[in-house]
Amino acid sequence: MRSDAIPLAPVPLTADEAETMLQRQIKKHHVAIILLHWFNAATWILEVATGAALISSRLFRVAPDWYLAIVNGLFGTRGNLLRFHVALGLVWIGVFLVYGIFGFRTYLRGEVLKKEIALDRDDVRWLVVRALRILGRSDEALPLQGVYNAGQKLFSMVVYAMLPVVMVTGVIMAFRLFSPWVVGWAVVLHFGAVGAVVAGLVIHVYMGAVFPEEKPAFFSMFTGSVNELFAYNHHFKWWREMKTEQLAWDRQREPAAEIARPETPAGGEGDAQEPST
Amino acid sequence: MARYAMVTDLRKCVACQACTVACSAEWAVPAGHARTHVRTTPLAGSFPNLTSSPVVGQCNQCDHPPCVEPCPSGATYQDAGGIVRVDTDVCIGCGFCVDACPYEARFINPRTKKVDKCDFCRPRIERGEVPACVATCTAHAKYFGDLEDRNSEVSRLVFRDGARRMETRTVAVGPNVFYLGRPEHLDLVLSSYPPRPPRLLTAGAAWTRLLKPLVLAMVGMTFAGQAVAFFTQLHKGEGDFEE
Ligand code: SF4
Ligand code: SF4
Repeated sequence: MRSDAIPLAPVPLTADEAETMLQRQIKKHHVAIILLHWFNAATWILEVATGAALISSRLFRVAPDWYLAIVNGLFGTRGNLLRFHVALGLVWIGVFLVYGIFGFRTYLRGEVLKKEIALDRDDVRWLVVRALRILGRSDEALPLQGVYNAGQKLFSMVVYAMLPVVMVTGVIMAFRLFSPWVVGWAVVLHFGAVGAVVAGLVIHVYMGAVFPEEKPAFFSMFTGSVNELFAYNHHFKWWREMKTEQLAWDRQREPAAEIARPETPAGGEGDAQEPST
Repeated sequence: MARYAMVTDLRKCVACQACTVACSAEWAVPAGHARTHVRTTPLAGSFPNLTSSPVVGQCNQCDHPPCVEPCPSGATYQDAGGIVRVDTDVCIGCGFCVDACPYEARFINPRTKKVDKCDFCRPRIERGEVPACVATCTAHAKYFGDLEDRNSEVSRLVFRDGARRMETRTVAVGPNVFYLGRPEHLDLVLSSYPPRPPRLLTAGAAWTRLLKPLVLAMVGMTFAGQAVAFFTQLHKGEGDFEE
């Protein structure tokens, strides 16, 4: 098989090909990322729940009286509630620092960030088409996506921009650093940054837990892998990249192997490929 | 329920600062700050008929305390005796309440970095004692008690002798520290140190007017968006989404 035998755009699959691909799992997330994801999810639930109960002033609060009563009841005193919120927040920051230090080269390199959060032209188009399709206004096929789709990238951008704000303002408040003026602004920014993430989370959680189309992505947050068919249909650019890499690897290891590799869909049929325009 | 109040007789006050010292000792207030203070008004009138008055100021435990609402964490609250208190466990030292108080009765304690102010020596009241400043006043110019008890000394001074609140037409938040004195002296006190209208710091205003509506709108919009997605999907049926 020649490397150009990997199609540039998805081609219709036969039932057999689809079935084979459905059975084959490909790795998407490291164990470390899965653990971090669920630790993060649990922390966010607890922090948002306690944080909303901490804002008790009528001027600023977002939660109703009965909610404040329940949460305050659970913690006994408001002092305990605040201490819990702060302690958990500090643990969370600690875990992220460890992740940042040890995972810096793996996850926070420029090229990784570019691949995982920067929007390209296809992504922008994807956002438009996705929205139109949801509204039932378009049947246009979604533009091809990399390892993360544009919605996920957009959410990552919000998260990457807001997390440092949440952390820094949180630490300022926890230790009442600098002056009361700074602390005052820290409370406000903390609220705003968390609000932006929560707005994104509404969609993120819905897409992950409810939207049937994204089910394999949801389960990949437990197993670490998605089936190849899902990658092919939803993250074609990523699928293609992996196939290319695999091919290069195989060829290096066993040059003869490229002669017979029937399991690649459209394998060997160079004429089946359609240039993506 | 009790309604605690304090009356200061400015005719008796000799501005000796004994109350300030006793208060600072009782509450270990760091130097440079005070829960209660004694000031003297500038001179008024024309020579040789000059006059001035001492003023003893502190938190007034207002009936409608403007410092409560701007406190985001609920650290500042009014207790059952009408005393406005600070739960230092929850205070985050943001200073919103400091700016809100018309009497400048609050400060951020530099040691704890949390807010500090007079609470009529609540622990002493609970032990059946009077506040430290009242106990110490060398001139016996201070009275403390329950306004709702019509036989109390403070009730008599307020309801019979006409002790006055230092409030103006524009700032009337119901202070519960009353003053006795010659009317012209009390007028001088009020005109020298009038309560200023409660303020909300820019950060607080940005929160209520900008950020809170913005956050609610953002969350509301994403929620509405996904509701639309959900119903379109129901309408189309799941078949469309099979791989
Ligand atoms: S005097 Fe100031 S601090 Fe005291 S209750 Fe009134 S507004 Fe609050
Ligand atoms: S500084 Fe004042 S407004 Fe801020 S949390 Fe403390 S008591 Fe509340």
